[in-house]
Amino acid sequence: MFKLNLKIAIRNLWKNKGYTLINVGGLAIGLASCMLLLLYVAYEWSYDKHTTGYDRTYVVYTNMKSGDGAVSYAWTSGIMAPYLSSTMPDIAYASHSTYPREYLLSNQDKSFKKFGVYADPSFLKIFDYQMIKGNKDQALKSPNGIILTERFAKVLFGNADPMNKTLKFGGKELLTVEGVMEDVPSSSSIQFDYLMSWELYKKINPWVAGTGWGNGHCLTVIQLRDNSSFEKVNASMNTIFKRNDKGSTAVALIHPLSKWHLYSHFENGKSVGGQIDTLRIFFILAFCILLIACINFMNLSTARSEKRAKEVGVRKAIGAARKSLISQFILESMLLAFLGMIVAFILIEISLPYFNGLLNSYLTLNYADWKFWAVLVGLTLFTGFIAGSYPAFYLSSFEPVKVLKGFSKTGGASLSIRKVLVIFQFVFASSLIICTAVIYQQLTFIQNKPVGYDRNGLVEIPLEGVLEDFSKATLLRDRLLKSGAVSNASLFSLSLTSGGNNTTTVGWPGKGPNESFIFNYRYANSDFVATLGSTMQSGRNFSPQFNDSANTVINEAAVKVMGLKKPVGSVIQIDDRQLTIIGVMKNFVMDNPYQTATPLIIRNGFAGEGVLAMRLNPAQNISTSIAQVQSIMKEINPEYPTSVTFLSDSFEAKFNSEKLLGTLANWFGGFAVFISCLGLLGLTLFMAEQRKKEISIRKVLGANTLHILTLLNKDFIKLVVIANLIAFPVAYIVINKWLSKYEFRVEISFIPFAIAIVLSLLIALFTVSMQSVKVAKANPVDALKYE
Amino acid sequence: MIILKNIEKYYANKGVKSYILRHVSTEIKQGEFVSIMGPSGAGKSTLLNILGMLEEPTYGEYEFMGEDVLSLNERKRIELYRNHIGFVFQAYHLIDEMTVAENIEAPLLYKKVSGAERKSRVADVLDRFNMVAKKDLFPNQLSGGQQQLVGIARALVAQPSIILADEPTGNLQSAQALQIMDLFKKLNEEEGITIIQVTHSEVNAAYGSRILHLLDGVIKEDIAVEQSV
Repeated sequence: MFKLNLKIAIRNLWKNKGYTLINVGGLAIGLASCMLLLLYVAYEWSYDKHTTGYDRTYVVYTNMKSGDGAVSYAWTSGIMAPYLSSTMPDIAYASHSTYPREYLLSNQDKSFKKFGVYADPSFLKIFDYQMIKGNKDQALKSPNGIILTERFAKVLFGNADPMNKTLKFGGKELLTVEGVMEDVPSSSSIQFDYLMSWELYKKINPWVAGTGWGNGHCLTVIQLRDNSSFEKVNASMNTIFKRNDKGSTAVALIHPLSKWHLYSHFENGKSVGGQIDTLRIFFILAFCILLIACINFMNLSTARSEKRAKEVGVRKAIGAARKSLISQFILESMLLAFLGMIVAFILIEISLPYFNGLLNSYLTLNYADWKFWAVLVGLTLFTGFIAGSYPAFYLSSFEPVKVLKGFSKTGGASLSIRKVLVIFQFVFASSLIICTAVIYQQLTFIQNKPVGYDRNGLVEIPLEGVLEDFSKATLLRDRLLKSGAVSNASLFSLSLTSGGNNTTTVGWPGKGPNESFIFNYRYANSDFVATLGSTMQSGRNFSPQFNDSANTVINEAAVKVMGLKKPVGSVIQIDDRQLTIIGVMKNFVMDNPYQTATPLIIRNGFAGEGVLAMRLNPAQNISTSIAQVQSIMKEINPEYPTSVTFLSDSFEAKFNSEKLLGTLANWFGGFAVFISCLGLLGLTLFMAEQRKKEISIRKVLGANTLHILTLLNKDFIKLVVIANLIAFPVAYIVINKWLSKYEFRVEISFIPFAIAIVLSLLIALFTVSMQSVKVAKANPVDALKYE
Repeated sequence: MIILKNIEKYYANKGVKSYILRHVSTEIKQGEFVSIMGPSGAGKSTLLNILGMLEEPTYGEYEFMGEDVLSLNERKRIELYRNHIGFVFQAYHLIDEMTVAENIEAPLLYKKVSGAERKSRVADVLDRFNMVAKKDLFPNQLSGGQQQLVGIARALVAQPSIILADEPTGNLQSAQALQIMDLFKKLNEEEGITIIQVTHSEVNAAYGSRILHLLDGVIKEDIAVEQSV
């Protein structure tokens, strides 16, 4: 029976090739989209879960009071980890490490800028990286040890044994390779190419030894012996600042490592999601697309019911029970789902590189993983069942006497179900069109929003190696200015587009006892405002004519939070230093273009690190200027490869996640529309079949092609309009929620809605007309003859 | 074998009952060859469908081989139907996607006959109907008469005790029609299969042993046929 049914099903599919193609195509696109999205969701979900004790591991966060709320970040003081491991027996390991940063590492004449982390031995215990060479228990204890990842070891030494070889770090320190470890999985939040010891960090940065609790400069990770002590440890962490640092309002908390990546947003000291929100959207999207592909299948199968009705009648008349018919139809849809899955496979393999490029991820189909096959088989069966169930129950319900006599007026009820299904598809498609349009509007809005400086022609180079010396840095600046490559240049203590390096220990006239805000804290030179292309709102900029070492320039946002009536001339305190405000500059966007500018305090001088910000000479072309910059850099700082960053590029990079969402919405919205159109095509086929006689009679009575077309298309237009009307509020709610997380956002206008309705109508009309023109032009006699 | 008591069938439309069958009572014995005749709309096909359990009467009693059909549940009824009834249609109603052999085999599948026996029974029937050479053809590759032969072969393969035929020769030319009727007669006489056919043709009816004349849903006449042929 099964064999015969399979044979019949295959014959059936082969006989109706067009129908099979539409169905398999629709299912394949649906399945491929679903699989890709699920693959991505699974990848994101696997973040930081590759170590054995990940579920007992926590990242220490600090909540700082700022204004009415609090800001949270995973930066802590270096003295926290030793304190924790010595005072809390529930904690198995507590490690302090730096965040990954690019440093120069050279093997004789080969130099590389790669990401390195300073860490302690506990770090290796918590993140149990497999050591390929070397002893894990002895590693990272001496100041001059270094552990390389396998990939980086290969880059440095090729096939030679790297153990005990010497490397030069930062052009100064000599380090000995004491181990080679496996590469860090791509789904790890901490990405590095080599590990160095915390001892080295202390040696290079002597200030570390003297830091107090309030100074957040490293990452602290703890591993509990047992999760049952979580409450106890967390409660103790909450008061750790209060106990150790008099007068501190900060609160520490521990956040599970497994949630670090997905739940990274904090509001008022509480985790409020993060990437997980996007992931949820993707998850829902995955199943919605699969669902509309299934709906398609239902529509097309039931639309062809007239052709199958006779078969059902005959089978019942020769003794088939309903059950066996249901299983036959389910079998057919399983077969189609299976074919769809094969095509989906090809689609996935083809699109995976593009998708990886888009998401900046390393997704692969892991054929050796049983879970992959389980999901695959499960998804195929699920699709086959969902898609096949309605047709199976519908078709098998035919009464043999009626269908054998001639299948005429039974379409009414099933037609309305089909209509509902098509409306559902178009609600989804229209909503996606609207959301995509708003996402793009928002993106353009933010990109074109004034940032407070001129991005074009603004570049920066990091100050590394010998340039960490003030005289060399100024020499570079002067040489560049003299060469004519740049028109303005200023040292700045941090990259112009990055956040961080902030302080709350600021005092100002009239400050209330409980007022506390976070200020960005930077060093710059006299030419700073001109280099940025910004202007002063009042007062003056630093100038070589004055001694500005005890003066400061602040931005408008800082004036606002301090509530200063006459800012210029006021004296503020940072730590214990008195600074006189000499000028107020216009706000400019630093780290987050979606928020109002953070209060900023700039001092005159040099912090021994940061960047040289430069405005390229507008009088000559960019490549000449860049070449000049590079040759001068080579002269002054030959050890380091020159990297010139265009501000417009790094600014653009801040929109990556919105761009990604836009691109994905575009793609999957496109798929949804496409699949919905296939469904519509199915419905038209059915309608045409149903109304063949009516149309023929109308034509005999004198209707022309246009009349018939209007008649046929009217119903579909109605469906699409209804779908749009339902989609409008749905999309409005969804997109409004999405927009609400942005401080600066576009007003939702009627334009996206207009786009959605016009676009969906046009596409629907086009699809429907392909079929209805054929019907309208058919010879009426052909249809009437068989009545 | 079949006892009908007071069978009624009507459709209620806006409170008005339109009767198809009224007070139909009759008895058909094992081995009879009954022809149901009457003008269009007399209720012939409905009666046949009720006999074949494809339709239910609105009212009345129907006893098939000692079982009260109307009180049986769906499963039992299908069981009874599978084992005893073979249906032959005017429009043949073969399944287009199946070959001749597969069409004939289909009822056996639903009867859950074992594979080996299915093969031998199908081969047997094909042989009897001289269609071995055509067994791998599809219905649309056959003439009308041949298709109806396949239809009858399909009805016979399950070894039914009764064959219900709804104008079996209605779509055929007279020569082919005669061939089919000869086959029916042979089956009736040699294998003792009960046959009930609906027909318009006096010639066809003459092959049978008894004629039921239906008019407006009522049996007007029930006559035995003189065996003259």
